[in-house]
Amino acid sequence: MTTPRRTWLGPLASVAPLLIVLAAWQLASAAGALPKAVLPALTDVAKALAALIGSGEIFPHTLASLARAGIGLAVAVVVGIALGIAMARMRVVRLAFEPFLLLIYPVPKPALIPLFMIWLGIGDFSKIAVIALGCLLPVVTAAFNGARSVDEVLLWSARARGVSERRLLWRVVLPATLPQIATGVRTALAISIIILVSSEFLSSQEGLGYLISSYGGVGADDSMLAVVIYLAAIGYALDRLYLAALRRFMSWHAFAH
Amino acid sequence: MRSRTEPSQGEPSRAAGALARYLPIGVLLLAWELVTRLGWVNPFVFPPVSEILLRWIALIGDGSMFTPLKDTLWRALTGLAGAIAVGVPLGILMGRQRWAEWFFEPLFSFAFPLPKIALIPLFVQWFGLFDLSKVMLIFTDCLFPLVVFSYHGAKGVSPIYVWSAQARGASRWRVLRRVVLPMALASVYDGVLVAVVVALLVAVVTEMVSGGSGLGQTMIRAYRYGDVRTAFATLLTISLIGAALYRVAQALRGRFLSWHVGEA
Repeated sequence: MTTPRRTWLGPLASVAPLLIVLAAWQLASAAGALPKAVLPALTDVAKALAALIGSGEIFPHTLASLARAGIGLAVAVVVGIALGIAMARMRVVRLAFEPFLLLIYPVPKPALIPLFMIWLGIGDFSKIAVIALGCLLPVVTAAFNGARSVDEVLLWSARARGVSERRLLWRVVLPATLPQIATGVRTALAISIIILVSSEFLSSQEGLGYLISSYGGVGADDSMLAVVIYLAAIGYALDRLYLAALRRFMSWHAFAH
Repeated sequence: MRSRTEPSQGEPSRAAGALARYLPIGVLLLAWELVTRLGWVNPFVFPPVSEILLRWIALIGDGSMFTPLKDTLWRALTGLAGAIAVGVPLGILMGRQRWAEWFFEPLFSFAFPLPKIALIPLFVQWFGLFDLSKVMLIFTDCLFPLVVFSYHGAKGVSPIYVWSAQARGASRWRVLRRVVLPMALASVYDGVLVAVVVALLVAVVTEMVSGGSGLGQTMIRAYRYGDVRTAFATLLTISLIGAALYRVAQALRGRFLSWHVGEA
């Protein structure tokens, strides 16, 4: 991850391999070594991407996908943090929910999609529900482990100053748990996109996964690849954005240097 | 090991531990059974757990679960094996050779956040609708954790060990085999544990999306017929083989790495 030499060449050196691969792709297409049926030329993919963005066709699909993933993730984060901390601090809650979590833990979450489609139909609701469930586990686990390992000394000293239990939760436990939660949410973010794409492949009239499978179905490879690259760029941008936000809002913590 | 020296103390506490661990799950399943038996939910939508178990036994008994199970397992393990065979050497090469690191590390960093299952339509086009496209996607997806963990493992080997081996006149090959590889192995194995989970997940998703037998396709067919019992029973099978694969991988880890400091 660290570049060996930190000169002005640093950033360029790390992009160079990617440029080499892309150039090789384009050259192979231009020379006819790479038939269009196997892989369309890079320039054709770029043109298709420009057309998708220029015509505005891709935006409603982006919005639909981001809404599904975003709502599912948001539900998982809110419920997951509350549940994880409650499980760590109250034995009853832990006893009540741990078996449920243990039961769904080994299930590959996208395999739940067909069941949820039976229960909730093939609309947005079933997709959001599976995304929320899939994202819940890393958040709950992180919040639970984080809240359990809060330094007892912090709690004692707050209690000794007469801080109420409720205030203790907001001012001591939650902030001390945040770094772990932040890592769990990052995992959940990646999971949300995987479940999103799988569920949109299976049943959808809208969304980036739908767009990929429908372009793939009619053999419009350049447009299909354009959407794949667009989706990857969104996933990458969201991850970077999340890390940047962490660095800004959690600058007090050592890990966000 | 320890329980063998003092069996009278080791056994009951272990049984109590297992009881404490599994009793809540038993209570949950019992509650599930009661709620459905009392008719609080529509049994067609959410069947009692006993009926799911009976369906599972029936599907195992008449052999109809066997072919999809075999197909899914075969695909997942083939893809995984290929990814281990390619990913571990590649990751170690990246960790030891400057040029390999320079070239491959940015490529894997860039492609890592890409949800690989988005490539299903492309892979179907390249490798057909059947086994090969699925195995190739499992291979591709598993490659990432294996390369990244092997790379970090090999890169993290302290140069002091390498120097001291070199100073004693060990050849390059011997240094790699006797120093780098053993020290990187713990990290490599973390990558294997991640890849095991990924392999089964991708196998099921590709089967759901592009069909062609397997447990994923059984799930989709159950959905089309609205057969919740078969869907649950298949989900149970998928989860069981997922847990079993993970356990086997962990047990192998203990066997290979028992000497390692990280394995207390």
